[in-house]
Amino acid sequence: MQIDIPQVLFKNRHLGRPASIDEYRAGGGYEALAATIGRRTPAEVLQLVLDADLRGRGGAGFPAGRKWQGVPVDHVGPRYVVINTDEMEPGTFKDRILVNVDPHLVIEGIVLCAYSIGASEGVFFIRPSYEGDALLIEQECRVARENGYLGQNILGTDFSFDVHVHRSAGRYICGEASAQIKAISGLRPNPRKGGPRTAVKGLWDCPTIVNNLETLANLPGIVRNGPQWFKSLARSATGSGTKLYSVSGQVARPGCYELPIGVTIRDIIFEHAGGMAPGKTFKTVIPGGASTPYLPESLLDLEMDFDPMRAAGQRFGTASLMVFDQDTCLVGATLSLIEFFARESCGWCTPCREGIPYIRELLRRIEGGEGTEEHIQMIADMLPVLDVAYCAFAPGAAEPVRGLLTHFMDEVRAHITEKRCPFGNPPPSLRGKACGTRPIQFGPTPCPEDQCPI
Amino acid sequence: MPDLIIDGRAISVPKGTMVIEAAERLGIMIPRFCWHKALGAAGACRMCAVKFVAGPVKGLEMSCMTLAADGMVVETFHPEAVAFRRSIIELLMVNHPHDCPVCDEGGHCLLQDETISGNHVQRRFPGRKRTYLDQDLGPFVQHEMNRCIHCYRCARFYQDYCGYRDFGPMQNANRVYFGRFEDGPLENPFAGNLADLCPTGTLTDKPARYTSRRWDCERAPSVCLHCSLGCNVTVLSRYRRVARIEARDNEAVNGSFICDRGRFSAGYEAIPERPRAGLADGRPVPVTEAVAAAVSRLAALAESHGPGSIAVVGGLRSSLETQAALVALAGAAGWRAPAFFGSRQEQAATKAALAALTPARARSLAELGQADAVLVLGVSPLYDAPMLALALRQASRAGAKIIVADPRPVALPLPFSHLPVAPRQLPAVLAVATGQPDQAAAEAQKRLPFSPELWPVLEDAARALAAARRPALVFAPGLAASLPDDDRLGLFPVLPAAGSAGAALLAPDDAPGLDELAAGVAAGRIRGLLVAEADLFTAAPELAALLGSLDALVVLDHLPTPTVAAAKVFLPTATIFEAGGTLAASDGRLQTAAPVQPPGDPVVRDGRGSHPPRAYDRELPGTDPAPAAFWLGEISQGLGQKAPRSPLAAVMAGLPALAGIDCSRLPDAGLRPAFAGPRPDTAPPAPLVAEAGLAVVYDEALFATDDPGRYAPLALAQTAASPVILLHADDAASLGLADAMAVAVGCGDRFVPAVVRLSRAMARGVLVVPRLPEFAGLPPILGPCGLRRR
Repeated sequence: MQIDIPQVLFKNRHLGRPASIDEYRAGGGYEALAATIGRRTPAEVLQLVLDADLRGRGGAGFPAGRKWQGVPVDHVGPRYVVINTDEMEPGTFKDRILVNVDPHLVIEGIVLCAYSIGASEGVFFIRPSYEGDALLIEQECRVARENGYLGQNILGTDFSFDVHVHRSAGRYICGEASAQIKAISGLRPNPRKGGPRTAVKGLWDCPTIVNNLETLANLPGIVRNGPQWFKSLARSATGSGTKLYSVSGQVARPGCYELPIGVTIRDIIFEHAGGMAPGKTFKTVIPGGASTPYLPESLLDLEMDFDPMRAAGQRFGTASLMVFDQDTCLVGATLSLIEFFARESCGWCTPCREGIPYIRELLRRIEGGEGTEEHIQMIADMLPVLDVAYCAFAPGAAEPVRGLLTHFMDEVRAHITEKRCPFGNPPPSLRGKACGTRPIQFGPTPCPEDQCPI
Repeated sequence: MPDLIIDGRAISVPKGTMVIEAAERLGIMIPRFCWHKALGAAGACRMCAVKFVAGPVKGLEMSCMTLAADGMVVETFHPEAVAFRRSIIELLMVNHPHDCPVCDEGGHCLLQDETISGNHVQRRFPGRKRTYLDQDLGPFVQHEMNRCIHCYRCARFYQDYCGYRDFGPMQNANRVYFGRFEDGPLENPFAGNLADLCPTGTLTDKPARYTSRRWDCERAPSVCLHCSLGCNVTVLSRYRRVARIEARDNEAVNGSFICDRGRFSAGYEAIPERPRAGLADGRPVPVTEAVAAAVSRLAALAESHGPGSIAVVGGLRSSLETQAALVALAGAAGWRAPAFFGSRQEQAATKAALAALTPARARSLAELGQADAVLVLGVSPLYDAPMLALALRQASRAGAKIIVADPRPVALPLPFSHLPVAPRQLPAVLAVATGQPDQAAAEAQKRLPFSPELWPVLEDAARALAAARRPALVFAPGLAASLPDDDRLGLFPVLPAAGSAGAALLAPDDAPGLDELAAGVAAGRIRGLLVAEADLFTAAPELAALLGSLDALVVLDHLPTPTVAAAKVFLPTATIFEAGGTLAASDGRLQTAAPVQPPGDPVVRDGRGSHPPRAYDRELPGTDPAPAAFWLGEISQGLGQKAPRSPLAAVMAGLPALAGIDCSRLPDAGLRPAFAGPRPDTAPPAPLVAEAGLAVVYDEALFATDDPGRYAPLALAQTAASPVILLHADDAASLGLADAMAVAVGCGDRFVPAVVRLSRAMARGVLVVPRLPEFAGLPPILGPCGLRRR
């Protein structure tokens, strides 16, 4: 652990166990809450968050304060906070770590948000594979309730707020705010576009704030130490705060690191993550999770922050760095990502539902040595179509493919000229994995093992 | 009023118009799949992408999701938009099976059209096609998932628009499947619309499957005969039988949809039993001879017993032309005016229900869908007038409160309050619910003292109706005399049959009821009867029982009714598909049905299942049937009358509400006459005293309880094997009856077997009986011995 790097979210990080409520309180935990509830007005909390320029950590980077401002002040009836812990973006694992490091930091952040927007109920939306974390949060919520930080009359005031843990049925699209609200409501999680924002009409048609777990975990620090402190944490001019970086791939020390916003990609990989794994040479990195493009080596000194990344044609995303070495076939890596996106599409709009499998099929052929020059053109033709999809899912899926075609075209061409994968990968199955052998009474034609046509 | 420019042409559209609609007004059809004017935008297919080159929106956007705004410059043929749409159609066709030659949608297929419009001509994609397992969705809709392009129209219609949940999207990604959890008939009584809505051949009209190609069909605009709403349909005919019926757009009436009863109740025009030849004394004779026989017998009777000895019965499934011809014939001959209704009281009530529809108060079905509180009285929407239920659902989706007061158990796909009251209590419910809301509680206690459970519901109803800005009242004609005099409250009557409104409009005030005719026949005052398109055995069983004592019975019809079998002289008439005609909907709206096919034998009968005989010189076989109005004109001529060229125009000229309307030039949406308001002297019907037994309430089923539908084979196949009667559980307990018990219902001199089902969602003291011919002639109050265990 780097001593000189301020640890805000990971302050209480212990190996192998979460921090207890006493440990959390010993470090100033729940002080922000005590100083806020009944002492500050909700509008003051909102102003702190606005001043701190806290941007959403879930990928889109929308300023949290501006989102909260959308809640109509004159609304009569319940308001909700939804804590988005769906975290199904490949390569992203920060929320799971954060819950396991300091559950009470998360809980305090949730209550502060609820206080600011006047919510009475929170829904902790968590992906099903995080069952252990769901149990942990449920248990720590009980502890918080017993200590008066959650439930009826928090800290003896007339503010009441409680959190339910809702296990997702497990689809990537449920991470999208409007789809998540539909999922909680028991509806098909197709994203909603047009009409009022979720801050106006969300869960059960009431104002609802959907924020990423990490975003909310920043609130206790902001409220306790002030916006200026939060801004000073960042290294870049436009950034504020620290960020959890999930580093995976061919590095010496993969893991989740809390580093300032604005730290360079080179620093993250070669300093904090210990450089490349022994014997490996850097080729490229996906800097912000699976729905961001490959980043060429020339951009390694880019600051990890929303605006500089966008200016360079990259995306900050969830700050999940997947590092690839020179021995990795990027066609295969892209195919692997596209297989994920093709499987996880909600199936609402044509570019996503049909376009991603279209690219997947062509990538499978190229990776298997059956590709032609025409296939590259067909993929290139389809990328702008994916960009005009209903929600941000398909444009995100297009990013790694676009990065592949922009920076690593030679590698793609090598597959076609050599009629095999130059890295020696076995050809992928053209039919994908089998759907399973359970009897199917309806739906796609059931397929024998390894014969899935879709 | 945003002003925008589309493809170089300026247009100004109302606020809230989508760009795709604005373009349609200019005649520019932007390709689309998921957008439908009744269902709105989904943004799923991405086919309607256009380029916004200037204005508040820039770049490639969906025209169905973008509101028209000032200063927009839209190019539908911008190269970027064209390339995008070509890619979309390429993606949609990647998995499409290209089975157009055997697809029922072929030639009528939006996917075919948009494939051409998108200029997708060659499949580049090298992969395999996705395939699906299909489901059996019941008798009406054929499932063929491989053709699906996932526009979600079916799901949005089925679940959002109609409110049924048993069909919808399942699974995700490119495995999305539109179907049910398991095979089985669709529960939605509007499911037939899926065949119209589906832009591909995924969901098609199952009965029509493989019967005809679209382009081979004769098609004509028509009006549905299977309830009183007058929904607009398009009839497609092939080889002189109706191949299929589709919904026809009428924004004022049915919008874009029709119910399954209207769609699947045709077929009676082609049944082998249909009487197609003239008969005299049971012998088939040429129709000209049958006309001569009718004329001579009626003339002889008038000669010997006076014109008063001849009575005329008109039907409630006839066009205005037929009904007017009857009125004209009877008037000119000096016979009694035609009887259309069971009693004078019923006729007066129906006339009063229509007269109340002043321009300020009349509501169309579409306007009911925009009401913000609706009180439904004596009508079970889903069965008495199915499309009414869909209109109420749209009102309910927009937040309207729906209150239904009806003795029967009421099922609706929407949240509503049900007041299960006996028919005689309906005026009290109406008075309380439309009265002052602060007095509703007291009034309810006073007027419905024995139903305390209804008091809070009535109070709520009164409050909702008083607070509503566009309240509406849907009522059965029996309540016409009790309507409150409040111009704020819109009115929409629901009548028993498609021809009820026409009969009420045209019948003279002094026209007798069928009960009077029965008395006249029994007393020997009436010795001759002319019946046009009515079945006395269902409409007036007591009259039907006396038919044998008549000297002359002339029947005109196209259905093989028992009345036809009893006829001394019979003339075959043409159905609405062959004759067309003018019809009046329950709100008085006059609409035209065009003939679609000649009245000859369907080829399937002519050829006895094989190819019809190649005889080029003979007439079309079985062309004896002619419009009833034509035969009535012939009879009129035979009697030496100077008949007007158009009896309808002549009769209408004498009626204040209809004078000046030219039925040959009605606007597309139909024409609602301006009624003057009810006459003050309309007396409310005498209330029935129910203490003596069970009040009989007839219940419609979705299929085969309407008159022509009863003779349609497909509709008939949907009916239950044994008739089911409904009884309140407490009444049943006091009668010693249990659920699902076999019973016999006393009906005149016979007992009709039935199965009794118990319900608590219905009125006490009421017996709900299906409207089937065997139950015709039940007394209005069933005595203590009328219901017994079998």
